[in-house]
Amino acid sequence: MALNKTTSGGRWRIRPDGPEKVTGKLAYLTDMSRDGMLVGRVLRSPHPHAGIVSIHTEKAKRIPGVHAVITHADIPGMNRFGIVNPDQPVLCEDRVRYIGDAVAAVAAETPEIAAQALESIEVEYVVLPVVDDPVKAQTKQAPKLHPGGNVLHRNQYGYGEVTSGFAGCTHIVEETYLTPRQMHTYMETEGGLFIPEEGGRLTVYSPTQHGYKDRMQLARILGLPEFNIRVVSSPIGGSFGGKDELNVQPYGALLALVTGRPVKIHNSRWESVRAGLKRHPMRIAMKTGVDDSGRILAHQVSIVADTGAYATLGAEVLNFAIEHVTGPYRYDSVEVEGVSVYTNNGVSGEFRGFGGNQAIFALEGQMDRLAEKLGQDPWEFRLMNMRKPEDPGPLGQTIVRTDGAMQVWKSLAGSSMWLDRQDRITDNPWLRKGTGAAFVMHGSGLGFGIPDPAGGMLALAEDGKIEAIFGYEEFGQGLIATLELMLIEQFGFGTEDIRIVIGDTDLVPHSGSSTASRATSMMWKSLQKLRGPFLDRMLDEASKLLSLPTESLRVGTGGIWNRSGEHLLLTYGQLAQGVQEEIRFQTHFPFPASPTKRIGAHYLYTYSAVAVEVEVNVLTGRVKVLKQYHAVAAGPVMNPQGFLGQIEGGSGMAVGFALSEDSVMDSGVYLTRNLDTYMIPTYTDLNGEIEVHAIEDLPEDDEHGPRGVGEIGSVGVAPAIAAAVYHATGKRISKLPIDPESLQEVPDFLVKAVSRP
Amino acid sequence: MINRSLAERRSDKVIECDINGQPISLDVPPTRRLLTILRDDLQMTGTKVSCEIGRCGACMVLVDGQQVNSCLTMAYQCEGKKITTIEGLSQAEIDPIQQCFLEEGGYQCGYCTPGMIISVKALLSHNPEPSTEDIEEALSGNLCRCTGYGGIVRSVQKAVQLRRDSS
Ligand code: FES
Ligand code: FES
Repeated sequence: MALNKTTSGGRWRIRPDGPEKVTGKLAYLTDMSRDGMLVGRVLRSPHPHAGIVSIHTEKAKRIPGVHAVITHADIPGMNRFGIVNPDQPVLCEDRVRYIGDAVAAVAAETPEIAAQALESIEVEYVVLPVVDDPVKAQTKQAPKLHPGGNVLHRNQYGYGEVTSGFAGCTHIVEETYLTPRQMHTYMETEGGLFIPEEGGRLTVYSPTQHGYKDRMQLARILGLPEFNIRVVSSPIGGSFGGKDELNVQPYGALLALVTGRPVKIHNSRWESVRAGLKRHPMRIAMKTGVDDSGRILAHQVSIVADTGAYATLGAEVLNFAIEHVTGPYRYDSVEVEGVSVYTNNGVSGEFRGFGGNQAIFALEGQMDRLAEKLGQDPWEFRLMNMRKPEDPGPLGQTIVRTDGAMQVWKSLAGSSMWLDRQDRITDNPWLRKGTGAAFVMHGSGLGFGIPDPAGGMLALAEDGKIEAIFGYEEFGQGLIATLELMLIEQFGFGTEDIRIVIGDTDLVPHSGSSTASRATSMMWKSLQKLRGPFLDRMLDEASKLLSLPTESLRVGTGGIWNRSGEHLLLTYGQLAQGVQEEIRFQTHFPFPASPTKRIGAHYLYTYSAVAVEVEVNVLTGRVKVLKQYHAVAAGPVMNPQGFLGQIEGGSGMAVGFALSEDSVMDSGVYLTRNLDTYMIPTYTDLNGEIEVHAIEDLPEDDEHGPRGVGEIGSVGVAPAIAAAVYHATGKRISKLPIDPESLQEVPDFLVKAVSRP
Repeated sequence: MINRSLAERRSDKVIECDINGQPISLDVPPTRRLLTILRDDLQMTGTKVSCEIGRCGACMVLVDGQQVNSCLTMAYQCEGKKITTIEGLSQAEIDPIQQCFLEEGGYQCGYCTPGMIISVKALLSHNPEPSTEDIEEALSGNLCRCTGYGGIVRSVQKAVQLRRDSS
C-alpha cells in the first residue's frame, strides 16, 4: 500500500516540534545569543598545501575590541580531532593541508572587528605542491601529506576465483564509474554559542550528531574533565552526516575559555563550504561477467576514494563501500579492493549513505549493461541473480534473515510505473522519456567491531510528566515525533503526558550516535526493554496508593485507570507525588552485531527497489525526474510522516547527486563557493510524482523491529536515473553528475531545416 | 560623483519603518542589511540566514507584501515600508498556510520553513489560483534540503485548496 497521509489515518500527526518551526519561534542553536557575547571567527588557510613559517598575532591583538587571538600555542590539551582517527589539527602548527585548515581564531566585540582582526594576523607560508589526484597521490613522487604516507586505508574482500570465473563468461562488462564531491548543504550552516559557566564549566550549544562524542573530543582538546563540559546539541537545521565530526566547536570553546565571555560563531556559507566535509568522490572500476544463461560468474571491483586532507571516518566509509559493491546478488567469485587516499582536496567524510551511494551507482550500472548484453529484461536479470534470504551477507557474514530483497523486487515488478514503461518518444521531438530501476540492500548500525552502544531512559518526573530521555539528536528527521508516537502506541500514554528530553549531555544517558540509520531502531528496542519494568512499577505504586490490586488497573491517557477504562483513578501527577522512590528505568545495550568477526560488517539490512521516469530534453541535455517509485522493506513503520519524509528527502538529495551537484575543485581550491554555483535541486526539479511503498512484514521470529530508513532513500535513485536516461536516449552514464552536454543532440527536424537548399 | 551633503544627511537619518505592525525607528547605517537588523539587532531570529547572496530564500520577508530576500535588502530601502517577517504571520492566530505546512508535514529541520511560508504567503496574496508554473516561479528562490519538496508541494496544494473552499 502506498504510504501517504490518507493511508496513514490517525498515525499521521502534527509533529510536536512543528508549531514552533512553522511560526519561526524555534530557537536553533545558531539563533542564540547572550549579553556581552563576543563574535568568534577562524582564520583559514588560503593555500591547499603549504608550510607555515611564522604566525604573528600582535597587530590583531592590539585592535580595540579584540579580546583574544589564539593559535596552536594556546591549546591546553591535544591539538587534534577526528572521531576515530584524530589526525586533524585544531589549529595548524607548521603545515596546512587544505584550503579550510584552521590557523588562528579570534574573539571580538563585533563581526566587523573580528574580520579586521583576521586580516591583521600575519602568517607566512611556503607554498607546497598540491596533491589533488588520489591516483597520483599513491605514486612515489607524490609529496607525503602524513607521516604514514598518503594511504589512509586499504581493504579487500573476495571469494572464489575471478580469473577462472571470467574465463568461463559469455559476456563481460568493464566500466569505470566516477562520482562527485557532493556537499551536505544543510540550510543551517555550522555554528553555536559557547558559554563559560561558574566553577570552570563550559556549555557548548552547537549542533552535532552525537553530543557525548563531541564532549569527549572537546575534553581532549581543552584538557578538561568531560563532566566539566555540557554539550547541548539539538535542534539542528539539517546535518546528513555533515555535522557528525567537530566543526566550529573547538574554536568557540577555546575562545570562550580564554576570554571568559560567551562566544558565538556562525559560519558563512563560504566558510562552511571550505571547511566542511563532503561526500568522497570515488572512482570505481568494475569488471563483471555472466554465462550465457545470465548467471554472474565473476565480479571484480577496484575503488579509489579521495578522502582529502584528514581521516575523520574515511576508513569506515571505504569499508562500507567495499561491503556494498556486491549488493543483493549472488556471484560465483568476487574480488574487491579499495583504497582511501589523502589529498589536498578539502576533507571527505560521513554523508548519508556512507559510501553506499557510490557503490550502488556503479554496481547497478553493471547490472543494466549485463542484462542488455544478454538481451534480458534488466529487472528479470536481477531476479535471476538475487540473493536468497538464508544467504550470508555481502562480506560472508551472518546477517538477520528477512525476505526484504524479494519483497521489494516484487513490489516494483508489479507497479504500474514499471509495467507501463513509456516508450521513449513523446509529442515533442526533442523530449524523450525513459524509465529505469535500481535495487539496493543497505546496512544499518556501525558494523562489527566498532563500539555501537544504544539505550535510553524512562522516568516519571516530579510534575507528573512521563519523560523519555535519549541521547539522540533531532536534525529534522522527526525523531521526537517518532518517539512520541511510540510512547502513545506502545504504552498508552496521552500526548500531554509525555516530555521528550534529548540533546543535552547533562540530562541524557549514553545512547550512541544518531547516525547510520540507527536511532529509530534503537529507540524502539529501548522501549521494548523498558516497557515491562516501567509499567509494572507504575501499576505497583498506584496499587499501593489506591489500595487496589494491580490487576484491576491500567495506564492510559492522563494517569492510571480502572482496568475497563471508565474511570481515571490517579493522575500521573498524583502518582509522582505519592511514590517514595522515583520511578526511573534505564537500559543500555549494543546495536545488534553479526557474530561473524569482520570489522564493519553489518547485521541488519534494509532493502529497496526504486524506479524513476525521466524526461530528457535533447536540445539542452537537461534531465527532469517525472515520477519515482520506492518500495522499502524496513519492518514496521514507526512514524509514517517521518518515513515518507526520509525517503522523499533522501531521494531529493540523490537527484542532486545524479544531475547537478558537485563541489568543483581546481588544484585543491573550491570553485563552487556558494549556492549560486553549487546547485541543489529546487522545487521545480522535484515536484514530480513520488510513490513510496513501505513493506512492513518481517519473519515471525524477528526480534529487531523497525530497520533504519534514514539513508536508503538516497542510495538507489542515481542508478535508476542513469538507467532511465539510457532508456530515453541510448546513452550510458558512468559519471555523475550527468553532464548535460553529453546528452545534447541536433534533432532531425533541425538537421532537415538547415540542410534544405 | 557622490553628492557629499546628501550622503551625509542620509547617514544621519533614522530609518522609519513598520515591522509586523509596529512602527520602528532604526538608527543604523543605511547600508546595514535588513537580515542583520532583524536577526542581530532586533533578535528576531525567525528569519534565517544561509547563503547571504539571494539564492536560498531562508531570509525571505515581505516588504509591502512582496517577497524579498532580507540578505539583499539594505536599511535605507526599508524607509516607510511595511515589513512582515515570519513572526508577524501568526500574531493573532496561526496563518492558514502555516497550518497547511503543519498538517501536510511540509518541513523537517524547519530551517527553510519560515522563508518558504513567506514566499507562499506572497504568492497566494497576489494570486489565489496559481498554476503549477506560478508556484514553481514563486518558490524557485527557496531551497529546502530535507524534504525533497514532497511535503512542501502538498502543503502548497492544500493552502490553495483551502483558499478556494473558503472563498
Ligand atoms: S540568506 Fe538570503 S537568500 Fe540565502
Ligand atoms: S526542512 Fe530542512 S531545509 Fe527545508
